[in-house]
Amino acid sequence: MDVEPILKVTNLTKNFGNLVAVNRASFKVNRGEIVGLIGPNGAGKTTLFNAISGLYRPEEGTIFFKGMNITNWLPHRICRLGMSRTFQVTRAFTHMTVEDTVRVGAYNRFNENNVQDKVEQVIKVCDLVDIRKRVCEDLGLASLRKVELARALATEPEMLLLDEAGAGLNATELAAFMDLIKKLNQESQITFCVVEHVMQMVMGLCQQIVVLDSGEIIASGTPNQISNNVRVIEAYLGKRAVHARNQ
Amino acid sequence: MKFKNLFNPRNIFILIGIGIALAIPLIFNTSQYVMLLMTTVLLYAILASAWNIIGGMAGQLDLAAAAYLGLGAFTTGTLLIRWNITPWVGMFLGGLVATALAMLIGFPLFGFKVKELWYALSSSALVVVMQSLFMMWNEVGGPTEKYLPTGTSPWYSLRFNNYLPYYYIMLVILVVVLLVNHWIRYSKLGYSLLALGEDEDAVEVLGVNSQSSKLKALAIYAFICGVVGGIFASIYGYIHPAFFDTSMSMEITILGIVGGMGFIYGPAMAAIVMVSFREFLRASLGSQLAGLYLAVYAIILILVALYQPRGIAALVELGMKKAKTYFVELTRGRRADIKSN
Ligand SMILES: Nc1ncnc2c1ncn2[C@@H]1O[C@H](COP(=O)(O)OP(=O)(O)O)[C@@H](O)[C@H]1O
Ligand SMILES: [Mg+2]
Repeated sequence: MDVEPILKVTNLTKNFGNLVAVNRASFKVNRGEIVGLIGPNGAGKTTLFNAISGLYRPEEGTIFFKGMNITNWLPHRICRLGMSRTFQVTRAFTHMTVEDTVRVGAYNRFNENNVQDKVEQVIKVCDLVDIRKRVCEDLGLASLRKVELARALATEPEMLLLDEAGAGLNATELAAFMDLIKKLNQESQITFCVVEHVMQMVMGLCQQIVVLDSGEIIASGTPNQISNNVRVIEAYLGKRAVHARNQ
Repeated sequence: MKFKNLFNPRNIFILIGIGIALAIPLIFNTSQYVMLLMTTVLLYAILASAWNIIGGMAGQLDLAAAAYLGLGAFTTGTLLIRWNITPWVGMFLGGLVATALAMLIGFPLFGFKVKELWYALSSSALVVVMQSLFMMWNEVGGPTEKYLPTGTSPWYSLRFNNYLPYYYIMLVILVVVLLVNHWIRYSKLGYSLLALGEDEDAVEVLGVNSQSSKLKALAIYAFICGVVGGIFASIYGYIHPAFFDTSMSMEITILGIVGGMGFIYGPAMAAIVMVSFREFLRASLGSQLAGLYLAVYAIILILVALYQPRGIAALVELGMKKAKTYFVELTRGRRADIKSN
């Protein structure tokens, strides 16, 4: 029997004035998967994430999460239902410590009596023990990316949207980050939707890839299918690359 | 309540401060003028500490303290004048009325995410609007002062012929407000407020309802201002629309910022230093240059903004940290000496 997808987006449209940033986008994410969302700069990936997580109200379309119609829900309700996210440009709570930042997320499902246990657990999992008392404004990008993941993780999500969480990391940091996502996916059964530019990472990590270009979903499928898809190569490298490939 | 963080070393200084404040009128033969001055300092310390909840923690540049204070004063005063209801009850009703007004404007403002400059302007307009309303509403306000009756028992009508009781009442309220600050700061609400003061979208995707968190902060702040307004009316012995005082609102906000946004004891500390200084200026310069203190405040505010945007409390924290490392090194050094002997 076909299981119901954890996330189902149908005909989602988001405009900024005359600009159609996301145009009738439809895709599904199955429970337990890691799905990659790729596309050139300005394709509408961040806008799509903002609409799904409730920060933007879409002009059209529906979003179903865990079988519930969450279209036009406020972000905090969506989080309480089990979806959280990180941001492309890190949005740290600059004057708060790492530990306090994680605590903000942990209060989502825990109260004064047991919130500390969750904080400890997340700090350990995300390898933040050494910097737990540091203030976020003193941290480098790699640490900030981890803190953003940690605070989202502390809300105990069933699904996480990561917007270019690997951007700006060096090869070692990126590898560690990928391992962490894989581990969270396998051990905590968290479903992921990740926007990523490093192709190696996307291909190695994801079971399914969705390609966005100029606000439209132009392809979706397994990494193999995507890397041989003509429209995708066109979108990324231009038409001449496709010609060259065909000759 | 979570008292875990209450007994840290820095709070010993606060305890000592409270002890001194308790003792001053008993030890020194303080004049009525000095008692009024110290009561005023406490009043500002309370209001600035209350502001810390909405301004320092939630990051909303609120300028409406005097609106809530005035409303508390008018509620308390009117209840006593018209129905002989004791200010002990009146001030809490005043707090509730102030909270109701705060919710009335907070709901749409936070709902539409009115922030920063726009929130400051809207809240500041509230003070002016309230003043005009009460100026026109002759039954309760109007251009002439309405005096509170002294009645038979000073404790019933809260009308004393010296400032000592007011001083101690204010001191008790300050301690309560600092405890409330502490309790909020280390609870879910406090963490949510601090975080949403920095980035509202980011906090919402972590499951925090930012609108209701801000409304809670605003409600607590307005309630405290309203209660204190009741005592304010009792101290002055009358109610008048001039209580809706824009420059007082401004002063409280400045104290909150200078004291240190989000630091529990910072605003109270700033109030003690700066309001004493203001009164000193007023006493030494008399009525010449009556608004000079605001200019001095402005200069201090600019200096803080330039050199220590997190306020003087942040500076104190830094100093304490340095002193601690110095102390640790000192004790280690000594231990090393003992070993080498
Ligand atoms: N808040 C906004 N206001 C106006 N235009 C926007 C806004 N956010 C994004 N856009 C535009 O929408 C398009 C998609 O942007 P974005 O979703 O950030 O793309 P991506 O994340 O794929 O790089 C771009 O053309 C961008 O300029
Ligand atoms: Mg983007």
